Amino acid sequence: MEEIRIGVYICWCGTNIAKMVDVEDVARELSEMPDVVIAKDYKYMCSDPGQDLIIKDIKKHNLNRIVVSACSPRIHELTFRRTLENAGLNPYMFQMANIREQVSWVHDDRIKATKKAKALVAAAINRIKWHESLDKRTVSINPSTLVIGGGIAGITAALELADTGSQVFLVEKERKLGGNMAKIDLTFPYLNSAQQIINEKIDRIEHHPNIRIFRNTVIDEIFGYIGNFNSTIGQNGTEAELKFGNIIVATGLKSFDPSGIKNYGYGKLPDVITSLEFEQMLLNGKILTKEGKEPANVAIIHCVGSRNSDEHEYCSRTCCMSALKYANQLRSAIPEVNIYQAYADMRAFGKGCEELYCSTSRKDVMFLMFDQQKDLPVIMEAKADDSCKMVIEMNEKLSGERIEIPADLVILMVGLEAQDDAKELARSVGISMCGNSFFMEKHPKLDPVATTTSGVYVVGNCQAPKEIPDAISQAKAATARIMATIKQGEVEVEVITAEVNEDICCGCKTCIQVCPYTAITFDENNSVSVVNEAICKGCGTCGSACPTGAIRSRHFTDNQILSQIKGLMSKSLELNEL
Amino acid sequence: MIQRVNPNLKKDLLKLGVKDWNECFHCGNCTAICQLTEEDSLNPRKVFRQAQLGLKTSLQANISPWMCYYCGECSDTCPRDANPGELMMSLRRYLTSIYDWTGLSRLFYTNKFMEFAAILGLATIVILLFAIWGPPLDPTLTSEGGVKINSFAPIKWIELGDWSMAVVVAALLISNILNMFYKVIIKPGVKIPLSVYATELWKLPAHFATQAKFRKCDTKGKYYWGAHWMMMTGYTIMFILIVVFLPEFQVEEIYDWWHWQRLLGYYSTFGLLFGLIYVIIGRIKQNNQIFKFSHLSDWLFVIMLFMTTVSGIMLHLFRINGMPYATYYTYIAHIAILIPMICIEVPFSKWSHLAYRPFAIYFASLKKAASEKQYKTGLAAEIA
Repeated sequence: MEEIRIGVYICWCGTNIAKMVDVEDVARELSEMPDVVIAKDYKYMCSDPGQDLIIKDIKKHNLNRIVVSACSPRIHELTFRRTLENAGLNPYMFQMANIREQVSWVHDDRIKATKKAKALVAAAINRIKWHESLDKRTVSINPSTLVIGGGIAGITAALELADTGSQVFLVEKERKLGGNMAKIDLTFPYLNSAQQIINEKIDRIEHHPNIRIFRNTVIDEIFGYIGNFNSTIGQNGTEAELKFGNIIVATGLKSFDPSGIKNYGYGKLPDVITSLEFEQMLLNGKILTKEGKEPANVAIIHCVGSRNSDEHEYCSRTCCMSALKYANQLRSAIPEVNIYQAYADMRAFGKGCEELYCSTSRKDVMFLMFDQQKDLPVIMEAKADDSCKMVIEMNEKLSGERIEIPADLVILMVGLEAQDDAKELARSVGISMCGNSFFMEKHPKLDPVATTTSGVYVVGNCQAPKEIPDAISQAKAATARIMATIKQGEVEVEVITAEVNEDICCGCKTCIQVCPYTAITFDENNSVSVVNEAICKGCGTCGSACPTGAIRSRHFTDNQILSQIKGLMSKSLELNEL
Repeated sequence: MIQRVNPNLKKDLLKLGVKDWNECFHCGNCTAICQLTEEDSLNPRKVFRQAQLGLKTSLQANISPWMCYYCGECSDTCPRDANPGELMMSLRRYLTSIYDWTGLSRLFYTNKFMEFAAILGLATIVILLFAIWGPPLDPTLTSEGGVKINSFAPIKWIELGDWSMAVVVAALLISNILNMFYKVIIKPGVKIPLSVYATELWKLPAHFATQAKFRKCDTKGKYYWGAHWMMMTGYTIMFILIVVFLPEFQVEEIYDWWHWQRLLGYYSTFGLLFGLIYVIIGRIKQNNQIFKFSHLSDWLFVIMLFMTTVSGIMLHLFRINGMPYATYYTYIAHIAILIPMICIEVPFSKWSHLAYRPFAIYFASLKKAASEKQYKTGLAAEIA
């Protein structure tokens, strides 16, 4: 075995580290540790001169392992791995010790902080002795894509991909394509016809040579990994075996069922309807009560099922604007009608939406504010001699008065919630869900389209409630990502994965139960677990759960971690003696 | 108590001068910036809300509009240009029409034709009375060279007219104030101990005479209070002179200029002219928020008072300079403007604020004192 030659570099980070840690002392003390050939401190290790220093030392002193003690590896681990590559070393022969976030920024005693820094660097030096070279791995990409869900997001993604010449399989649970958008009359804020937009797209998708549509179809199970997924789809008694490289999940959301909210009497009072039912009225071209009369008073109640700890805590994001849209449609359909909007907060954000709010508020619409958290309005039947069919009682927040609203028709602005089968779908596609049953994106800010499973993307409402343009943007973003991998032909997969020592594996299947990525399968012939390295994310759950120690997590081996702890303790003991 | 929202109130209030209905989004800037805001008695935002929702009962029990003197700060700084100041002004018209049980106030405020008809009708009756009666037009002058005014218009007849007018106007005002009292205190069930009515009573004449609250509105180089106070005192002195001291006021002698009767008369005239010119220039130039919007009733008020004042000045000059015919005809014109002005403007229109404002302040202090007293007894009971 080759001789271990470690180079240690302590970063000042300007004054960020140096003001609280005696970096020169750290370098001096650690240069005396076994196998450490050289230990230096420098003002900014991440700067070009700092990196050059490492490269020169590697060549001059024939170093084969590098420890950098600086900021969080989240910030600069990749930077230094590249430095090692440039110097001709394997990038995994590198370890970082975080003495900024974990030391200088959080302590105020310079002597103790310096001790702690020494402990952390010693741990890294001990660990790196056990590091192994790891090689990059790639898999080839099947250019076909599976799109699950035929709403506006799914249709958009399918068309974008198919137009580039790739094969697309579009799976729709229902008989009709178009999803929620096909069920509404006008879009906000510009009051354009939803039908015109969606029908044109449905027509295109139905005649597209690169798109195969499966209606009335539900995905059961998907096998494989990025670039190489496969699934068996049953349709009309026949089964089709599909192979595809990427998956777009666009299953959307369904509207909330308000029957459970006693105050609103939905299902008992005939003229209390949901926003979706009102859309149907608008599509039919007639706004009428159950008795067939034109209503003189229409009340619109916001936030039904949203922003309330009893139903859903989140905001459904679209209902406020839909409610404003209804006010406009009502005003033009029945000019004399009294329109009341009982709202919790008006959230008319986004392009053109505040303007819609302003213009609507000038159309003789009465806005009444209630407390969505603990004081919902109550809808009740009016007395026989009253001029209206129903009255809505509420405590109006802005006036502080208890008021009643006369109503002949009440529209409940129902929120959006996860599909009933969202959980099953998440399981079969291998993606996670948030607390409120939306599919979880890889990163809420930096990667809101991908998921933690490579090759699976979430677009449209199934990721979170959103407007049509947002859903379309997300669909197109996912398409671009998929096109990029298809163009490359192959994709790099995670190197830090788990591996099974088949000689020790006892076949207990514990690892299969705990794996959050369904990356482990069982080889019945040899009675051992097998890790699919294309799916494995190297989280290490299986390694720690394995009772026999048969699973080894690459780059996080037992030896690496134990010696890291040993290194840490060697200096920590001194810290306690202080 | 539960109140039904009423979108139709808006239509009423638009006729009474409300400018903008929908702009207000209840940020509360108006309430924050107002110098006179008080939790229970003046809260412009809350009044705006009651008006928007058409909550008639709350609105009619609310004295906020009377507590506002319209400095215009709220409208100047309103982020939505919702003109809360003008809403308060319009609500004063609304409340005047609500307190007035005859319904004439509402008719005059909302129907220009009827208002003009009433004014011209009364003026015509005055002229006709003079014509039918046919007073002697004595061209001879007194030894001092003055016009013999008392032979043209004998004191006892004019006094009779003065007093009957005063009684009618007072009866109307008092009954309207009782109506206001019912809406503000009785109907909402405010409990006020009898002793409080007595202890707070001094505020009524005190605020009438000083309008101390209004002084707080004189910020940023505005002198509304001064102009208004001069106009108010001028008018009040003149009113007392012609009603109570008519025998001393309408005289044929030409007193020295330092005589109390002439000094008081000149002060009143100056006060009225000063205030009126200030207001008229303001309303023409629209140079301040308070003058930006002029309802017909605002214009009629100043124009009629101005005409009365000018005809009064002319009457005085013609009399002491011995111009009998000019004096007699100007006298008729003066009375023909004065009578409709007082009979229409005081009980039914803008001028009613001379009574409603001090009473609103009185009612507000009644409520405040009563709740403080209740709080103290409650506290005492708790301690015991």
